[in-house]
Amino acid sequence: MIDLVLSVIQAIMMIALAPLFAGILNKAKARMQHRAGSSIFQPYRDVAKLMRKSENISESSSWLFRFIPYVCFGSMLLLSLMTPFFSAYVAAPYGDLISMVYIFTLYRFMMVLGGLEGGSVFGGMGGSREMMMSVLIEPSLLLSLMALAGLTGGSTMIGDIPRELIGMGAIVLTPALVLAASSFFITLLAENSRVPFDNPATHLELTMVHEGMLIEYSGRGLGLMDLSSMMRLMIFSSMFCTMFFPWGIALTASPSAVLIGLASILIKVLLVTLAIALIESYLAKYRLFRLPNLLTASFALSLLAMISLYIL
Amino acid sequence: MDAAISGNLIDLCVVAMLLLSMLAMTTTRIAQLLNAFAVQSLFLTFLALVVADSTGHTELFILGGITFAVKVIGIPWAMRRISVRLHAGREVDSTMGIPGSLLICTILIIVAYLVTEPLMATLETITRNCLAMSMSVILIGLFMMVTRRKAMAEAVGLLMMENGLFLGVISISYGMPLVVEIGIFFDVLMVSAIIGIFALRISKAFDSIDTSVLRRLKE
Amino acid sequence: MTIPVEGILLIPVAAALLSAVSPNSRTASAVSIMGSAAVLAVSIPICMAAFGGTVTEYGLWYVDGLSSVFILIIGVVGLMSSMYSYGYLSHDEEHGEIGSKDIRQYHIMFNMFIAAMLSIFVVSSVGIMWIAIEITTLVSAFLVGFYRRNSALEATWKYLMICSVGITLGLVGITLMYASASHILGGDPGALDWPVLFGAAADLDPMLIKMAFIFIIIGFGTKMGLVPMHTWLPDAHSQSPTPVSALLSAALLNCALYAILRFQMIADVTVPGFASVLMIGFGMLSLAVAGAFILISKDIKRMLAYSSIEHMGIIAIGFGIGSPLAVFGALFHIIAHSVTKPLLFFSAGNVIQGYGTRDMGDVRGLRKSMPATAFMLGAGTLAIVGLPPFSVFVGEITVLAGAVDAGMYPVAVLTAAFLVLVFAGFTRNIFPMMKGEPEGEVKAPRGVLRMLPMATLLLITLFLGLFMPEIMSDALWSIADWFTGAT
Repeated sequence: MIDLVLSVIQAIMMIALAPLFAGILNKAKARMQHRAGSSIFQPYRDVAKLMRKSENISESSSWLFRFIPYVCFGSMLLLSLMTPFFSAYVAAPYGDLISMVYIFTLYRFMMVLGGLEGGSVFGGMGGSREMMMSVLIEPSLLLSLMALAGLTGGSTMIGDIPRELIGMGAIVLTPALVLAASSFFITLLAENSRVPFDNPATHLELTMVHEGMLIEYSGRGLGLMDLSSMMRLMIFSSMFCTMFFPWGIALTASPSAVLIGLASILIKVLLVTLAIALIESYLAKYRLFRLPNLLTASFALSLLAMISLYIL
Repeated sequence: MDAAISGNLIDLCVVAMLLLSMLAMTTTRIAQLLNAFAVQSLFLTFLALVVADSTGHTELFILGGITFAVKVIGIPWAMRRISVRLHAGREVDSTMGIPGSLLICTILIIVAYLVTEPLMATLETITRNCLAMSMSVILIGLFMMVTRRKAMAEAVGLLMMENGLFLGVISISYGMPLVVEIGIFFDVLMVSAIIGIFALRISKAFDSIDTSVLRRLKE
Repeated sequence: MTIPVEGILLIPVAAALLSAVSPNSRTASAVSIMGSAAVLAVSIPICMAAFGGTVTEYGLWYVDGLSSVFILIIGVVGLMSSMYSYGYLSHDEEHGEIGSKDIRQYHIMFNMFIAAMLSIFVVSSVGIMWIAIEITTLVSAFLVGFYRRNSALEATWKYLMICSVGITLGLVGITLMYASASHILGGDPGALDWPVLFGAAADLDPMLIKMAFIFIIIGFGTKMGLVPMHTWLPDAHSQSPTPVSALLSAALLNCALYAILRFQMIADVTVPGFASVLMIGFGMLSLAVAGAFILISKDIKRMLAYSSIEHMGIIAIGFGIGSPLAVFGALFHIIAHSVTKPLLFFSAGNVIQGYGTRDMGDVRGLRKSMPATAFMLGAGTLAIVGLPPFSVFVGEITVLAGAVDAGMYPVAVLTAAFLVLVFAGFTRNIFPMMKGEPEGEVKAPRGVLRMLPMATLLLITLFLGLFMPEIMSDALWSIADWFTGAT
């Protein structure tokens, strides 16, 4: 029972905090680039405003087009229930790493369909680029998580992993963990369409990937899509912070443990956010044809993590 | 030091060396390549020190010191000087794309593992697991020599092979007798010096150190 | 009087230093010749003692019968080639291709090269042996790239790179062997010394030794010129100055061969029969590929280089068969090849300098333009393809007999077939050069220091083919018996 309650609280917190961290990311970037930047609460206002606006839907699209934002948001909702945040308790008893990876895939697939449905050229371009990237993202995501599971004794249950890792003590600092974490971080940037894979701030037709797929959306649909993509970043960051570096997470439901867990996860996610801001400020977006290089590197890292489990 | 922790440190050094080999495969700049080699040698130094500390083989301290002086500082510095003098351009040309090279690297690692697996069982050093990694570093260095077209990159491939070899020496027998080790180091130094001399001569004669111009000798 | 082993090494080093300070190129040449003669003179007593069964072993050094064979070969070939160098380089100097500074540098490197090669055979630690082999590569790189032509630089680069990789792989093999030995010997610092390794061979781990030998034969096989690791060899041999080509072919290849033999002896004790398969396999492949390339070669020095690969193949097969008869044949063949091949290179050098080309298709009327060289070239060709009464014939026929004797009929038949191929290639390429009229004016190079080494080598190869001195056959038989573990 307690795990259900905790995980619902966690899910609500993740939804609630997602726009805040998106705002912090934008603010941090702006500051690093010597701009004033908008308020860190600006994403809340944007989403709220979009929710109130009426939708403008392309004539060529079908029912699927309106349906997709709900599927996307729903899948993120499901994932937020499955991801540990301040505690290692997660609700979904069937939620394991593999289903997680495929819910992400479902999200991406739906988004690509949405881009195609809109009937604009940019949607199709964004979709095809996204698919090209996902061919390389998916295996490296899966492999890095599998390496993690292998490291902790073979269980793919999400709740077990932080517990096992903490239980292993200092031995856990194996190459496999470091490699899998680096691979996962590259995947994080790629999945969330961050620099150097995509530029979330641009609407230049030649470069956009993620924004291209959303270009025909407006009003509530766009609001939901934006919110889901913020949640996706939030979920990825907290996965990175709770599964690869779980120290501080609440393993019991006692108030003190929860408080420590809350404080540590907020700090860790903040650090990840700042790291992303740093990368976005100091790195240029890669040319599309150079993306496979980086993605293959991530794949190689995760494969190496897997191999090193057996070799070392 | 705690055995588990030193074991972890050794593993981390070894994996870092392997990663730097792969990084060297992905880089397209001579300067980055030399940095990768220097950092790889730095990790080799760390490894020698950790192994020396945890097994009590004190001659490995000396080996670590020489590695640091020769491979982390000496050779990269000299090669940087040479590559400036060569005006060779900063790019490394490869006959193979980066994703392809990386995939082949992972295949080489698996091959190295399969080849060395039966051997690892017969050894009794605490570092025996590094043998597969050392073989991987050797194979990747060889692969780099085969696919790169700049003389300087070929030389770095050779030096990386030698790093892998030292890793292997440490991992299976805690180093060879000191006389031999020092001799081998002297050798490495000579090889790089002579390669440098001939790279200079080649660039003078061909106006390029792209070794794909060296294709005239055949039947 | 006993001469310490260090003497063999100190003489060429001293010669190198003296040629560095010698005032002109003439003195430098004289220093080289005298140094090489002194090396030969000093090594004879040590080697004779070793043939008599005395093993010289103290400090770092270890000299036994097997190493003595190689030391003597280096002594003879080094002397011949230093004599030939004089005339050859003077010709180049007259034509303004090189300066007297180049010649001095040549002699420094030449003597260092001899010293490096000799040190391989007198040390007991296989680790130091490895270092010495690597140093031979480094030193000889300067000799191969002596003419700073583009093609020579290309050959040098290939030589350096391929041989360095090969030798690195060889060190992997040595490391594996050391790992196994230091485990048995409990951290004995002498675990790299060859006698210690050989003594412990029966207890070594078979798996490790198998792996080690694979690495060693690939690694040192690169330097020995075994196919498919031979690609540097024709380039390096054809681009270097001719006396150096002769040294590379007749002395340097033997160095790597010697290393392989030492490890084969260990492997034969630990895992009997394992090394043989590899040796015969690589030998056969070398023989086949080299035979084909000899047939289609146009460049005379490249053809001779392929012929060296071919002979290394025969020698590898001989040691691979592993019966005392075959090993005796292979040992004799090493000597025969090493005295015959320089003869051919020297005559080729005369032809090249006389006609100004290495392309055999462009050389005609050799018998008219330079009859002495033509005679030497013809005789050398007959010798190297293995016709009686020359020594190569004896070596080849003994190896073949060893194969038949050991019941390896396919090996014998295939070897014989490839030898016929080589014979066809040589006659097709060499003898047309003799006939016809020379086109244009051919200036035949002259000089007693050119002809003397050639005549000496021809006499030696003929003499060894006709009568084998008893002391030599006794020595070779005792090495062969020891090698195969028959005694």
